[in-house]
Amino acid sequence: MDSLDPRTLPQPIRDELLAPDPAAIDTSAKELRDGLNHCPKCGSTEVRHRPGTDRLICLYCRHEWVATRVEEAFGLGEGIADLRGTQIGSGARDMAADATSLRSYKCGGCGAEVVINTATAMTARCHWCRHVLGVNEQIDDGAVPDAVLPFQVKKDDAVARIRQFVNKRRLFALKAFKDEFTPENVVGVYLPYMVVDARGNADAAGFGEIETRRYTRGEGKNKQTYYDADVWRVQRHVDFTVDDLPLESSARRGNLDTRSNTHNVINTILPFDTKNAVTWNASYLVGYTSEKRDRDVQHLMPRLQDQMLSIARAQMQPSVQRYDRSVRWEHERIDLQGTRWVSMYLPVWLYAYHQPGPDGGLRHYIAVNGRTGETMGSVPVQQWKLILVALSIGTVVEALALWFIAR
Amino acid sequence: MDGDAILLMLALGPASAAGFYWAMHRHYRNTDKSHAFEHETAVEVLALTGVEADRKVDEIRATRAPRIQGDNVGNHRQRVQPM
Repeated sequence: MDSLDPRTLPQPIRDELLAPDPAAIDTSAKELRDGLNHCPKCGSTEVRHRPGTDRLICLYCRHEWVATRVEEAFGLGEGIADLRGTQIGSGARDMAADATSLRSYKCGGCGAEVVINTATAMTARCHWCRHVLGVNEQIDDGAVPDAVLPFQVKKDDAVARIRQFVNKRRLFALKAFKDEFTPENVVGVYLPYMVVDARGNADAAGFGEIETRRYTRGEGKNKQTYYDADVWRVQRHVDFTVDDLPLESSARRGNLDTRSNTHNVINTILPFDTKNAVTWNASYLVGYTSEKRDRDVQHLMPRLQDQMLSIARAQMQPSVQRYDRSVRWEHERIDLQGTRWVSMYLPVWLYAYHQPGPDGGLRHYIAVNGRTGETMGSVPVQQWKLILVALSIGTVVEALALWFIAR
Repeated sequence: MDGDAILLMLALGPASAAGFYWAMHRHYRNTDKSHAFEHETAVEVLALTGVEADRKVDEIRATRAPRIQGDNVGNHRQRVQPM
């Protein structure tokens, strides 16, 4: 059988066939290997993230150091306007279909086999010799990202912010929620995100109206306002770049349907100062849990296009201010010229409360941004109490209205 | 007081009850909140064109609507027909 000549194919298919493979930016930490993370000064494996800073500290010799910022190490903040095609960080590559989360590592201290469940943790302590092991090499299950943004907000601060948030919402809060409220149970979690730089151009077309005359007709209670207006055909084109747009790379966290979950409150505490993210080192995750990503670039592309289109529409808005009766956009289009995808673990303090109910109930989250301290949450409502007070207010207002009518 | 005004006054009770419930529910559950990526992301506009091509195509006389029908200029997340 003759092989297909690309020149005979339609243009879009030909472009697809001839396009270069997505270029990978190699962000793997070559100096780190799976297993023991040693202090560069004394060789101890008792390495921790120093709370409130971006530094690592050796608990044995107190030596402190900081990993390199990915922004500078890989030039991620530069050349967004020149982006072409899809560039993917090596930690953001597609996950292998048969990849498992349970990984077995040989302890460098004693040779024991230690299992780490990369779905929830990236470090473990050897049960024989007590050395701390970390997953540092970028494995095919997507658990090791390109970069990590260390926690800066300490646990005490997160607890205080959650308590303050709930104290403003006590009156109508579910009684069981108030009784069981223990913000000290807040958990530090590194959640998976794709941070995207992109260049795109967008078009929108529609109609705008400019008021030319305003007048009233009728007398007394029949007096009504009328408007005359000019109708204009409006079209805008915007060519723009976006720097560090974060997208949830977990299918569960990316589902923002507020009827079935409260993940929108975690979405609300975005953005993070992702410019300060550092190259991967599993030691940053000691003492915290982590959630593995389960979405690849191809899954997130429609969401990126949607958000880029929304950003484009927002950028067009100032240019249509002259249409004082506003604009109705009827058609739109986005074309992404280039994108750069970097996977990151971002720090979130999460307090959760499960409210029983039909279909498994609802898990309410209160989330604190581990860098900025921005706090948002969902507090379950004692429905009968809120309805009773609302009806009482309605009754009082209605009584006042009746008194006013009868007067 | 005419009939319309009386009806309006009578509607105040149910409206205030529903309004209070809605406002409090939103304050507690924050179901309307999400990341304002349109305004909180670093965006650089390289070119914005089309202003010079706007054309007047029609006139409207004596409408009672104070705004254009289907105004969506501020609703950036509402998707419209693809071009």
